Amino acid sequence: MKSRRLGCLTATGLLAAALTLLLVLGVFLLRGGRMWSPGPLHAQTSGVELGGIASHADTGGDCAACHTAPWNATTMAERCLDCHTATAADLADPMSLHGALQSQGAAMDCRQCHTEHQGAAANLTSADMDTFSHDLVGYSLAGHGLRADGSPFTCTDCHTESLARFDVVTCEDCHRRDDAIFMQAHVADFGTDCLGCHDGIDSYSRANFDHSRLVFPLTGKHTDATCSGCHLNSRTITDLQAAPTGCVACHAQDDAHEGQFGQDCTACHNTNDWREATFDHGQTAFPLTGRHDGVDCVECHVDRVFQSTPSDCAACHVEPAFHLAAFGAAACSDCHTTSAWQPARFDWPHTFPLNHGDSGVVACQTCHPVQVQDYTCYGCHEHQPDEIAEEHLDEGISDFQDCVSCHPTGQEDEAEGGNRGDD
Amino acid sequence: MKPNARELWWALAAIVVITVIYLLVVRQLQAVPAASGLFGHGIGVLGFVLMLATETLYSLRKRSRRARWGRPASWLRFHIFTGLVGPYMVLLHSSWKFNGLAGLVMLMTIVVVISGFIGRYIYTAVPRNADGLMVEAADLQAEIAAAEADLQRALIGQPAAARVVAGQLAAPVVTNGGSAMLVLGRPILRWRQRQQWRSALHQLDPAAKGQARQMEALVARRQALQRQAASLASARRLLGVWHSVHIPLGMALFTAAFIHIVAALYFATLLH
Repeated sequence: MKSRRLGCLTATGLLAAALTLLLVLGVFLLRGGRMWSPGPLHAQTSGVELGGIASHADTGGDCAACHTAPWNATTMAERCLDCHTATAADLADPMSLHGALQSQGAAMDCRQCHTEHQGAAANLTSADMDTFSHDLVGYSLAGHGLRADGSPFTCTDCHTESLARFDVVTCEDCHRRDDAIFMQAHVADFGTDCLGCHDGIDSYSRANFDHSRLVFPLTGKHTDATCSGCHLNSRTITDLQAAPTGCVACHAQDDAHEGQFGQDCTACHNTNDWREATFDHGQTAFPLTGRHDGVDCVECHVDRVFQSTPSDCAACHVEPAFHLAAFGAAACSDCHTTSAWQPARFDWPHTFPLNHGDSGVVACQTCHPVQVQDYTCYGCHEHQPDEIAEEHLDEGISDFQDCVSCHPTGQEDEAEGGNRGDD
Repeated sequence: MKPNARELWWALAAIVVITVIYLLVVRQLQAVPAASGLFGHGIGVLGFVLMLATETLYSLRKRSRRARWGRPASWLRFHIFTGLVGPYMVLLHSSWKFNGLAGLVMLMTIVVVISGFIGRYIYTAVPRNADGLMVEAADLQAEIAAAEADLQRALIGQPAAARVVAGQLAAPVVTNGGSAMLVLGRPILRWRQRQQWRSALHQLDPAAKGQARQMEALVARRQALQRQAASLASARRLLGVWHSVHIPLGMALFTAAFIHIVAALYFATLLH
């Protein structure tokens, strides 16, 4: 009867399996864990012994020196730190590379950057830009994908001495080679602490930086301004953000008003041009109406003095001789408007009835041809000087020049007695 | 393509596809995929599963009593396919590092694959029926007799061709290397018999040559059966020898591979 067992389970097959098992066991007993090793351990040494050995290769075949069993509470990273005590100290210092990684909550362990079994002379630190998130140390490599010649950056381009260290001078050296003129000005404006402002995302180039997202959008002539024109002596992001947004911070010397209008320039001016000022005089105590609207500012604000400008008419307008001092304390606006001097409105009591005749309301000059203090009845209807003289002389009245003294209402019959010449 | 080599072409196609995927991954990673990485691990596990299938499935099918799931010949083709593709995937899993036990396992894999090629060559020397089962000597002799009868019927009325055919069939199947060479030197034997046939045809007049050419396929079949009959015992003996070597090699390989897997799980996969 034919056997139903697997064809490989022959006596020789089982013997071969057993011999293989014994061979592996024998090599393991004789040479330790080397046979499990996927490659030689790092053998280069700086001469300093850590944990009693000068290099990982010195562990021999003792896999357990670094490797921990899955069921062991100790992790491999802890085994690393047992020997690398300086790195353990770094982890507590957020200013160090390892500490920065730790403080940023990076879910990383030693093996992610430090790969072993790559050969006796292989580099133990194999972090590259594809696997290492540089953002974790507070500086993104988003703006450093390619060099100026188009080739990709390598870690040592910036970390010239050690991956765990960075000298900020490297920024200036490298960028000065790209654009010496810009760097000269930039360093003069903002100093040499590049990392004080730059986080690697290339946020501040003209192409990428959008000032309109901030509290102070750049409009009008501000778009032509240089960064350092406003951000004076800025050395950090905080300095940049602390730039004053008030106009006078930069334009105090441009203030033609010498501070008389306060600091709210935007009430009248825009960012296009100082001369595009739009002042609303209606908001003041002296709104410009009538003929006042359109008058040049300097006609009232002599020598560009804008405050305490008198608002009474006499400050600008000389009283006409016609009623010079005739109205005493009365204001001009009691009779006149700003539209024109004439016609004027007279609402005051008149000693002489204005409607004594049949002519209705007549112009002031009809009775007051020279001044309001003087009057004459001549020139109106039948009051001709020769006729008046003849008529009064016939009646024996010689003093008849002050008409209202005898005719206070202008009526002919109301005069009695009069100043006869014979009295 | 020869029908009995179809699995080799399928294996070649699979290897080309896997190679293209591998190269794409290399390009993506800008490096050779590490054996412990996702891709490296994945291709290693898959390759080993295929190797395990190679080792077990064909053997199980051969020993199945009911034999209802596929013909043994088909399972052999699958065995050869997985026996080539699986080791190739394991080779890519190695990330071209052959240190320690992992390197030894890779080396043993290559040895077993080469041994498999040799075994297949010997296997094809043993005459088999359509189900892939060995043909016994008596059956082979019956086949030879049937071929002989076909040939004699075709030779009736063709005296010129009959002389040549008779001369060819009369020549004994001999090799300088003994019976083992009947199995291992099959291409040389075939080539020599073809040369002798052409030489005999060359001496005939055109009419006789035309008659003889019509017999060519029958003669070739008769000669092949003759060779198989002469080498049957040697082929079976060699196949037995090969089995006695190949199986221990395979067992040693799988034992070492299992140890490697356990070690990899302990030292790398379950690392914390």
